[in-house]
Amino acid sequence: MSTNESTTTTDRTPVDEPDVCVIGAGPAGALLSHSLAKRGHDVVILEAGPRFDKESRVDRMKLQIHPDREVNEIWDMGGERDEYTNSSERPLPLNKRRVKGVGGTSLHWGSVTPRFRPRDFEMQTRHGVGKDWPISYEDIRPYYAQAEQEIGVAGPDDAPHQPPREEDYPMDQLPRSYSDKLFAKAGEALDIDVQQEPMAINDGTYDRNQCQGYGTCEHVCPSGAKYSADIHVDKAEEEGATVLTEVPVQRLEHGPDGEEVTAAVYETPDGTTHRQEADTFVAAAGAYETPRLLLLSESDQYPNGLANSSGTLGKYFMDHGGGFVIGLLPDEETHVSEYGPVVSGGVFQFYDEEEPTGGINIMLVNVPEPSVAEVAIGSNKIGDALLDQVELQYGNTLGMSIVTEMLPREDNTITLDESKTDDRGNPVPDVDISDGQYVKDATEKAVSESTALIEEIGGNVVFSQGTHTPDADYIEDTKGGYHPMGGTRMGEDPSESVVDSTLKTHDLDNLYISGGGVFVTGGGSNPTLTIMALSLKAADHIHEELRS
Amino acid sequence: MELTRRDAVTALTAAGITTTAGCAGLTGETGSDAEPMEVLVSLADVLYPSDIEPTPEFIETFMYGRITDEESYREELTAGIETLNQLAADEQGGAFHTLSADQRRSVIENTDLRTGPSEPDGSDVARVNYYLLDELLFAFYSSPTGGELIGNTNPRGFPGGFGYSPSLEQ
Ligand SMILES: Cc1cc2nc3c(=O)[nH]c(=O)nc-3n(C[C@H](O)[C@H](O)[C@H](O)COP(=O)(O)OP(=O)(O)OC[C@H]3O[C@@H](n4cnc5c(N)ncnc54)[C@H](O)[C@@H]3O)c2cc1C
Ligand code: SF4
Repeated sequence: MSTNESTTTTDRTPVDEPDVCVIGAGPAGALLSHSLAKRGHDVVILEAGPRFDKESRVDRMKLQIHPDREVNEIWDMGGERDEYTNSSERPLPLNKRRVKGVGGTSLHWGSVTPRFRPRDFEMQTRHGVGKDWPISYEDIRPYYAQAEQEIGVAGPDDAPHQPPREEDYPMDQLPRSYSDKLFAKAGEALDIDVQQEPMAINDGTYDRNQCQGYGTCEHVCPSGAKYSADIHVDKAEEEGATVLTEVPVQRLEHGPDGEEVTAAVYETPDGTTHRQEADTFVAAAGAYETPRLLLLSESDQYPNGLANSSGTLGKYFMDHGGGFVIGLLPDEETHVSEYGPVVSGGVFQFYDEEEPTGGINIMLVNVPEPSVAEVAIGSNKIGDALLDQVELQYGNTLGMSIVTEMLPREDNTITLDESKTDDRGNPVPDVDISDGQYVKDATEKAVSESTALIEEIGGNVVFSQGTHTPDADYIEDTKGGYHPMGGTRMGEDPSESVVDSTLKTHDLDNLYISGGGVFVTGGGSNPTLTIMALSLKAADHIHEELRS
Repeated sequence: MELTRRDAVTALTAAGITTTAGCAGLTGETGSDAEPMEVLVSLADVLYPSDIEPTPEFIETFMYGRITDEESYREELTAGIETLNQLAADEQGGAFHTLSADQRRSVIENTDLRTGPSEPDGSDVARVNYYLLDELLFAFYSSPTGGELIGNTNPRGFPGGFGYSPSLEQ
């Protein structure tokens, strides 16, 4: 599908002596770049993918609704560029989980933006599992507020199960959908608090289109009401940053003493190689690609990959566990898909439980069934018979999508598969991840509470993760891979971690990593607000460093 | 029930798209374009429920209000209509729009239309499915009028605003 730029005529030569070179234009690169550019630093962003034409979003949405089109087609994912190997026991459709282009995977995301909680930073101390972060909730708290302000989060100021906050959300919480109300009523009977999820969707407060209710936020918001990181890439450009697109970075080079990165080597679409020099480098290529880039940057001095003197690069990789629970309410209209945003309500009550200790976020979904148009197109019928079929299939479902905490484990890894190469001849990433009992316990708890809620409303559970798996593309969530974290983890001890608490690598004085890869544990909250907060914190450190 | 231009146009304008102004429509401007519109209306007529009367305005807005790749879409449309007419001639001995509703239905039922694959770059029939039939179905079943027939005035894919949520008593 069409993109803005002509592949052949765009200038893709390196920028002359920039202060900062950022690799990747997803959330982790975008907010950081804007934060630095607006303070007068000269920033260049190197992005592997294209800049998508905003006008193409309606057609991308139609791909999403079309029953025969695959999720990876929406943002042109896949092919030789995106080859990978999955050595995990479970399927991991990576090319439905990472978007390459300006905005990164946030073009695709659901925009659910809870913070992590104080306990997430000290799971070892509190519960004897995982590892404590080198920072506390208090250290990151102001950056959470800043990130929420930047992207625009509509959230519940007075909801019960939330981490401490000083200031109100920038926008009022989203209104309750009909199914949120059904769940809330059932929750009252069961002593389960149903509250609104924080969502990065514009209600009209921010200077971009307000939500228009397409109900396709995941995987594409045609109106641009859903926050996506292209917004901050644009803002960074307005502040003077330069963005080069379709320039995948092949490796990072370091100087003779091995203490500093000197250049990011990238290729243009016609195969020309360039070296981008800069004072400071930030690897923000997403948690799948960043460890791979560092491994590809091996040298005589660093034969095991750059920033890997600890030997932990690519290890302690995490995902969130989770699943879907879907119920059918016989003879009752649930007003699915009329509301707009795919999620508005949630349950956080089981996040901080003593047993199981794994964090849990139950998202109540407003679109638990395929869209009307999708059913119509997918059918073979026409005319009145088609209408009858659509009517029969529409409108009685309820459901939830669950996020649960997985522990970091050394043997969950991203490595290079030397036997397979991408379109540039580089070995592809090899993901090897298995769930473990901890995340299964939390998921089981979440599924059982979700089932109780649906049954209290009078519904029958027709699908619950892994049990009656129907052949339906729209509930492929159970395959996971949505929330990659770890692999370049943060820590005080250089022998056990890749970056320090400022996100600077222990090994190289001018190399930072921004993204979910730096997470020490995974929590039960969707990760991206934390990724953004950490990136704003890193920007402050880089700013201080460049000033001195 | 007549399908209005509003049904189609809201979707496009709400997305920040200035619609058909300046865009050569199917009807009116060129004489040779009159036939494609008749074909599309006659196709929509059998795809949509019998109570629904598709109008040229609805179809023009949807098919020609398309915002991207307009030129290439137009080509697909022209090629698709040709394929459809060919199938109609083989099955029923006439151009698609000249056939009775029953005859048009049997053209669809006796060929790979609907039942066969729907691909943007597949065989001729697969492309008719993708660019004509699926587009028309998308247009209708993600419009308020289509949604209303099954009790949803803001179906997915339609920008009818957000936050619609009746109270529980309803
Ligand atoms: C379907 C889906 C729904 C999701 N929903 C939510 C949600 O509701 N809430 C939430 O918190 N999170 C959600 N996520 C996760 C969220 O999308 C990610 O956490 C977030 O996008 C990570 O940001 P990032 O910038 O680190 O990586 P990405 O967004 O993946 O961006 C990385 C960028 O780097 C570029 N890149 C990669 N390699 C190179 C290279 N070698 N050279 C140059 N550039 C490179 C890529 O092209 C890409 O643009 C969802 C994810 C998916 C798949
Ligand atoms: S419901 Fe709102 S946020 Fe979601 S896709 Fe539509 S306009 Fe975008």
